[in-house]
Amino acid sequence: MPRRRIYNPLTELLAAVLLVVLVLVVNRWEFSLAVLGLVVLPAVLLSGRPRQIGLAVTLIAGPLLVSSLLLHGLFFPEGTTVLLDLGVARVTAEGLAFAALMGLRMTVFTAALLTVAMTLDLADLLATMTHRGWNRKLVFVVGSAVGLIPHVAERARHITRAQQARGLIVGRGPLSRARALLTVLTPLVIGLLVDASEHTRMLEARGFSSPGPRTSYLPDSDTARQRAARRAMVAVVGMFSAAWLLTAAA
Amino acid sequence: MIALDSAGFAYDDGAPVLAGVALTVAAGDYVVVAGASGSGKTTLARLLAGMTGADAGSAFNGAITLGAETVRFRGLPDDPRIDPARWSARVAYVAQGAWGQLSMMSSTVAEEIAFGPANRGMPAQELRRAVDDVAAALKITPLLGRDPRRLSGGQLQRTIIAAAVIQRPEVLVLDEPFQGLDDDATQDVAEALEALRRTGTGVVVCAPMLPRHAPRGARVLALADGHSVFDGPLPEARRAGLRRFGIGTEGEPLRRGDDDASLPVDPAGPESIAIRGLGFRYPREPGTAVPPVGLAGVDLSVQAGEVVALRGPNGSGKSTLLHHLNGLSRADSGSVAVGGVRIDRQPTGALAATVGYLFQDTDQQLFERTVLREVSYGPRATGLRKADAARRAAIALDAVGLGALADAHPYELGFVQRRMVALASLIATGPAVWALDEPTAGLDGPARHLLAAVLSRHTRDGGCVLMATHDAAFADAVAHRSVWLDGGRISPDGAPRRGASAGPAQPLG
Repeated sequence: MPRRRIYNPLTELLAAVLLVVLVLVVNRWEFSLAVLGLVVLPAVLLSGRPRQIGLAVTLIAGPLLVSSLLLHGLFFPEGTTVLLDLGVARVTAEGLAFAALMGLRMTVFTAALLTVAMTLDLADLLATMTHRGWNRKLVFVVGSAVGLIPHVAERARHITRAQQARGLIVGRGPLSRARALLTVLTPLVIGLLVDASEHTRMLEARGFSSPGPRTSYLPDSDTARQRAARRAMVAVVGMFSAAWLLTAAA
Repeated sequence: MIALDSAGFAYDDGAPVLAGVALTVAAGDYVVVAGASGSGKTTLARLLAGMTGADAGSAFNGAITLGAETVRFRGLPDDPRIDPARWSARVAYVAQGAWGQLSMMSSTVAEEIAFGPANRGMPAQELRRAVDDVAAALKITPLLGRDPRRLSGGQLQRTIIAAAVIQRPEVLVLDEPFQGLDDDATQDVAEALEALRRTGTGVVVCAPMLPRHAPRGARVLALADGHSVFDGPLPEARRAGLRRFGIGTEGEPLRRGDDDASLPVDPAGPESIAIRGLGFRYPREPGTAVPPVGLAGVDLSVQAGEVVALRGPNGSGKSTLLHHLNGLSRADSGSVAVGGVRIDRQPTGALAATVGYLFQDTDQQLFERTVLREVSYGPRATGLRKADAARRAAIALDAVGLGALADAHPYELGFVQRRMVALASLIATGPAVWALDEPTAGLDGPARHLLAAVLSRHTRDGGCVLMATHDAAFADAVAHRSVWLDGGRISPDGAPRRGASAGPAQPLG
């Protein structure tokens, strides 16, 4: 069940991007941890689909975290405080701290962006872009790209059902699930390639590439206050980042 | 208003079709382009819609005139290109297969219908009024808040037609628009098209058979193997002996030979399907007041050797009921037993050897690279070795007349052939119980006869069939009995109120 939307999708998208910028600029594990715990985690929990987002974040950030921990935890040339000497590798406090910094950063990136992407109301986003008078081509590109995500998921579900109806057994174990995923991938990709050209043609046939202004069926969910808030957010983050970087350089 | 003059159209240097075919559609005309599978009617529809296929390696030789503008093609790379945005503002096209025509950018049916005019800049207030009007005309107002991806087949089809009608085009080309619609929905669509036609839109409807009802003055262009075989008024077409080209008339009784007639059911025979007190509820979708219709208190028994037609309006729960036979949906209450074994928690895949399922949308069912691989998938999944599975597949393909196309890619085949591939894959797997969702939708005359013969062969071998269908003529000819669903319940009085045989309200020829 998707959550009730409070903010315009453009505001949410911008907030996630600015959060990522802040984490990059500040570049401290304490800050990343605070952002993760105080902003991103509540957002995931309140998103209405914490399980799916959690799974997606784990799938993307998990392997990165593990490799970061192995690489920096065991082999960090600048490390001086040795916690464990394994001969070829040394576990150092500095290495672990660096691994934590990198890992936390990646987790914040993926979790913040995935939460927005996976709860994004595309129709609302396109309506906002239309009401704001954004470039049509951009609306076309964003629309056909993002619109494909739920379509892919739905098509994968249909193919899995068709395969199951013809004898594919998907067990509960991870191995069985992985095998089922593989059998669905080939027809999914081929089907999408065939669909893609046909879909573009269909969009054209419904005037998606027409010149001239576009209108929107959905009312403008954007407000003057949110627009002001977006400008303020950009200004504050911009000024803060400049000040922070200048102080750090001094 | 629009005129097509085709000297020939060839896909990928194949044999040309539509040689010497000409069609002119004036304002307010109603033209039926009738033809069996592979006759070239979809090619003709796409040409009218401005899709000359030059970007896909096809070569069109001829001319298309829209209003005062004539575009000539010689089948060469330097041929002119039709601007799809400009062309589609005047000629709207509803292709076959509603799913593929969704914009994928709308979260509700209302936005989906508004998509075309919004792209052309219709002011918001006017847009909302137009959506309300067209939804009321097609009786889909209750669906406006629903997610278009979650509609039943017939509801989706009406949504796509509404999205074309709202554009108020000069010419509207529809490829098999009535496929998968119940009688009431067919009538609603016919009325909406008629209203549009009266305002001057030229309507072109492609169909595998001649229509039972059509506006007075309707013309027919009949195609066979890519050639024109008849061009004239509908009443004359009915007398022109088009049956020899595989073009029958909708709703006329299916003629069956003695060898493929159904045998009477043995009342003492084993019960193949036993459904008792089945209840199922869909979760509520966001933005809608009530969830889609589920099932309530459904009792149904089907015996070995029996064909039962499951009938009822679009969205009445027919497909949902079929889903319970092989576990694609799981009952909230009651029980389902197939072949004497209760379906509880068994995975769907484990039931494939017992229950064969033909999906309503064939394109979502086919997923392999070649026809043979596609048909072999079922037998292989149920444990046969590759060579044995291929042998079974080849026999099944022969049974549906597709033996020669084993190495083709399913996407290269025509609609009817793809449907037959899906049927062959069911035959090859060999389950005793068949669950068929709208098996005759889009089939031409010869394919309907073939399907009837395949079904009666299956029941004579002790199998049983439960098929959801709107095709009254087919059900009457093939099924031992019909069971009517309405609002997720079995209707004890048979056909519901507005009636399957109600005639359209328009003056018809």
